[in-house]
Amino acid sequence: MPANIRELLIGFGKGKQTDIATANLVAAIWQLKKLNAALANPKLNTENDAEELGKGHEFATEVIKTSWDVNGTIEKYLSSDIAAWAMAFGLGKVVKSGTSPNFTYTCTPLNPTSDGIELPYFSFIEQIRPGGAPVLDRMAVGCAVESWMISVGSGPGRANSKINIEFVGSGKLTEPSGITLPAATVEKLLLSASLSLTINGVDYVTSKNIVSLEFGWKNNLRLDAGFFPGSGFQSAGDATSGAIRGRLECGNRQASLKFTARFSSGSTELASLKNQTTGTAVITLQYDTNNKLTVTFQKVSFSAAEVGETDGLVTVAVECQPQYDNTNGVISAVAQCNTDGIAQ
Amino acid sequence: MEKVWMTPPDDGEPQEVEATPDVLVPLLVQGWRQIEPPEEEEEQEEVDDDAREHS
Repeated sequence: MPANIRELLIGFGKGKQTDIATANLVAAIWQLKKLNAALANPKLNTENDAEELGKGHEFATEVIKTSWDVNGTIEKYLSSDIAAWAMAFGLGKVVKSGTSPNFTYTCTPLNPTSDGIELPYFSFIEQIRPGGAPVLDRMAVGCAVESWMISVGSGPGRANSKINIEFVGSGKLTEPSGITLPAATVEKLLLSASLSLTINGVDYVTSKNIVSLEFGWKNNLRLDAGFFPGSGFQSAGDATSGAIRGRLECGNRQASLKFTARFSSGSTELASLKNQTTGTAVITLQYDTNNKLTVTFQKVSFSAAEVGETDGLVTVAVECQPQYDNTNGVISAVAQCNTDGIAQ
Repeated sequence: MEKVWMTPPDDGEPQEVEATPDVLVPLLVQGWRQIEPPEEEEEQEEVDDDAREHS
């Protein structure tokens, strides 16, 4: 029988793996829904001997498995649960406090000097009709978050508050996954209407001027450096099975923040650009007192501010330049949710 | 106010600090990391000592 893509189940480690090669145990895995249909297809990279001399012709006679790649995207309506997960795994450093039902995860980027440059790893499972005759049942082991981006827009629907998470895997696969996914977590949505936003001393919600907002983080993972001498193979000790990554390390990390706001007399964006005024940007989205996300860009200036229009009204589109603050770094996130054990 | 245990990057003396962003974020930026409360380990050691004495 043909399978419907809506049968796709995804699960991934809410807890971190002990190392890149050791898959999450089922107790540390949760199931969440997602929006995008794209699968995290493993890619087998091969080479052939077409260019080699000694065969008498230019055609391939042999194909060699060289390496494995896995990457994927999780697109979701923003919830307190996925927000906490993305902050913890995406930024890399987390302090857990609180008790049920209010767990708090205070997250910052890794300090390379003391923390190294490897993010926490998780396993990612995709299943369609798991069981005796599955359509799909596989687990990518040793995945790390490449980036997350949260977009908040104007309008009544859930689509006005979404998160997009990109991840990369070590290439190690387990098929079948051997995992029975738990029931899907009931998530607490962080809707656009709950936004609080202050940037450079301006409260854009109180003034009813904010139109849309995008903010994110990108780790620029060092993909090729994951394949180092001794990084290992898909089947341990089998050099014909294709190499896998033995590490996924951060490259030059980037924070991003841009927004569009109504522009009127007294709007300060152009002056802030001209004067290169710096201040914090504090973004809060909330479901209830136990489910909340606050992201703070510790020091931002404006790198661009262009006056234009949105739906016939004059607006200003601003790109911020996040800067490093000597005390508080570049970005921090405080994520509260009902879910225990995230990145623990 | 809830507190958590943090240890500095140079493996210095762990400290119990308030679990607020104002306190935690500067520590995390400096390289501090969270650890389990040391009391639990001490209690476990006491239990182990008692067990050895009885055996």
